[in-house]
Amino acid sequence: MLPRPDSFPVDLPPRHSVLSMPYTLTPGPATGTTLAALKQRRLLGSRFKTSGKVVVPAQDFCPDTGDSQFDFVEAPHTGVLNAFTETAEGLLGLVRIDGSDVDMAHRLVDTSYADLKVGQRVSAVWSDAPDAGYLSLSGFRPDASAPLGKVEPYAGGVEAVKVVPYHLDLHYNHAYGPFFGRLFDEMRTSGRILGVRMPDGDGALLPPREIDDISHRPSGTWVEIKQTGTVLAMSIIYLEFVGQKQPPPYIYAEILLDGARTKLIHNVSGLDMSRAKELVKPGTRVRAVWRVERTGSLDDISHFELLDGEEQH
Amino acid sequence: MGRHVAIVGVGQTHHSRRRTDVSQAGLVREATDRALADAKLTMEDIDSVVVASGPVLFAAVNQPEKWVVDAIGARLKPVVRITSGGGSGLAGALQGYYQIAGGQAERVLVVAYDKLSEGALQYSISTLYDPFWGREFAVGIMGFSAAYWRARMDVLGHTEEAAAMVAVKNRQNALSNPYAHVKQAVTVEEVLNSKPLAWPIKLLDVPPISDGAAAVVLSSERMAAKSTDRPAWIRGMGYFCEADNAAARSLLVSEPLALAARRIYRSAGITNPRRQFDVVEVQEPYTCFELSYYETLGLCQPGEAAELIRSGATAADGDIPVNPSGGCAGANPIGAAGLIRLIEGAAQVMGKPAGLRIPNAKTALVQSGGGWANLRGIAVLSA
Repeated sequence: MLPRPDSFPVDLPPRHSVLSMPYTLTPGPATGTTLAALKQRRLLGSRFKTSGKVVVPAQDFCPDTGDSQFDFVEAPHTGVLNAFTETAEGLLGLVRIDGSDVDMAHRLVDTSYADLKVGQRVSAVWSDAPDAGYLSLSGFRPDASAPLGKVEPYAGGVEAVKVVPYHLDLHYNHAYGPFFGRLFDEMRTSGRILGVRMPDGDGALLPPREIDDISHRPSGTWVEIKQTGTVLAMSIIYLEFVGQKQPPPYIYAEILLDGARTKLIHNVSGLDMSRAKELVKPGTRVRAVWRVERTGSLDDISHFELLDGEEQH
Repeated sequence: MGRHVAIVGVGQTHHSRRRTDVSQAGLVREATDRALADAKLTMEDIDSVVVASGPVLFAAVNQPEKWVVDAIGARLKPVVRITSGGGSGLAGALQGYYQIAGGQAERVLVVAYDKLSEGALQYSISTLYDPFWGREFAVGIMGFSAAYWRARMDVLGHTEEAAAMVAVKNRQNALSNPYAHVKQAVTVEEVLNSKPLAWPIKLLDVPPISDGAAAVVLSSERMAAKSTDRPAWIRGMGYFCEADNAAARSLLVSEPLALAARRIYRSAGITNPRRQFDVVEVQEPYTCFELSYYETLGLCQPGEAAELIRSGATAADGDIPVNPSGGCAGANPIGAAGLIRLIEGAAQVMGKPAGLRIPNAKTALVQSGGGWANLRGIAVLSA
């Protein structure tokens, strides 16, 4: 077969996608106790038993030796500014709390970049907000008169925070590339599904791609794929989970469209779900049903419906 | 090819649904301390560290190895993180194996973990899928796994009853495993009647969601005797991939696992796996996978898995025991699961399993994998 001539790429703007993920993080004993103590306007450190190192804020393991045996200590609210920078979020600094062997990163408040100097004395600024977490300690401000503080024995009376709620919203802009660009542009504008011919000309790769995965030879010319196909594999989803796009029950299906050599993942619906096990099986024939409003995604196909009276064995 | 490598120390946490008493790093520390103690070593004796864990979306910490090395006292040592979904633990051990076999290290600590209580599991796993082609329809790997089990039912006879027998066997075995976090004997009827999650997968076909860590100390032949007089020698180990959506993929067998088995069996001198292995540990995220692996690993011929489980051959007292530890049914901290399988296989040939002991176990087969069906590996261990 002759090689595929180059075609003009269809360039779509990147597709925006957001992952919105909830978390329940476990801080462990040292950080959990420190977080709880901050609410009481107390700053805790850990003094490691074998190395004698003092780490503020408290950590479970000595950063030098890995020692896991430690006593909590009450750290003073004063220290020295060892480094600083200005960010869009404000001023950040590395503060060496008096008596600590390590620096702690935190915000620098009630000051400006021009007024900061490495080596200057700083003192803690506390927040009145009830649920500020780590930011119960708002940050540190320059304080030339701050007295030299001392690490004291832990006074007790703190119930460690066990779980910290957290959330990540991750924004992505995925590039389509020339093959996906044409595929999804055609789906959106004309409701056609395009693949590329296999190097041997027998059937098509869907989604289209430049190189065949097995022979590693360049794929062939573009070809429209039929909108009917056969269910290769299916399951009935009852599970509910964060980020789910539709309420269960529904049918997850891997479908081989007629003329394609590779599968797509979609849903089979529009049927009596109480009979799903008998109506949808490997071999069941289905047809794409399109949405009226299309955006250029696989979801422009609303679902696959059963093709009555046809079954391939 | 390369130097001999042995497992000389193993350790794991008591796995549970949610460990609120330790951070991710604290979990890693527990397993590390146990493995070092088992190997009669301290961190000073370790030349290099491999940290293995699942996708960072599971627990929202990027490059966790930078945190973990401090927590295990390994600062200033060589460290690398390996991630390969459920296969992370085995893939991590493979990196340690390469370092020693290649003469770059004498002893390597491999520690694997996941703290699955922290994030949204199925949502995170769904990001395995192409953002343009399938992700919006993904149900973790459960939708996919159930779909191909349904296909194998027709072609290979992997019935719901046969899979239920896997659940019964593994949950029974987990009762004896002190590290398992699910200890609940079930019957075939209970499995069949349990709530469908992604039919044919039902609740009791599914492992628990676990917080847990596991660690092994790998050693060169030269240093092994300092830790134990009965190490588990790694006779072969490999991890293979296949094309994700290539033409002519039936997915009725795991092609990369078949490749791994053929390649590693040959180098390890395995010509009759059913007779030569004394014990097998497979990572069965769902019961249907164990049936499929019986066939792919050559414990029986394609189409015979249902009969193999029914015959009792893979029970702890059968002729080819599979998952006497209870497998993933006992605990499933995903990133650690492959290393736990390696530990359970090694502990059998070292003669010191924490749970059920297979008498005179000399040769063990361990399987693990990640992705959906496209990343799979094995290890062959011997006394």
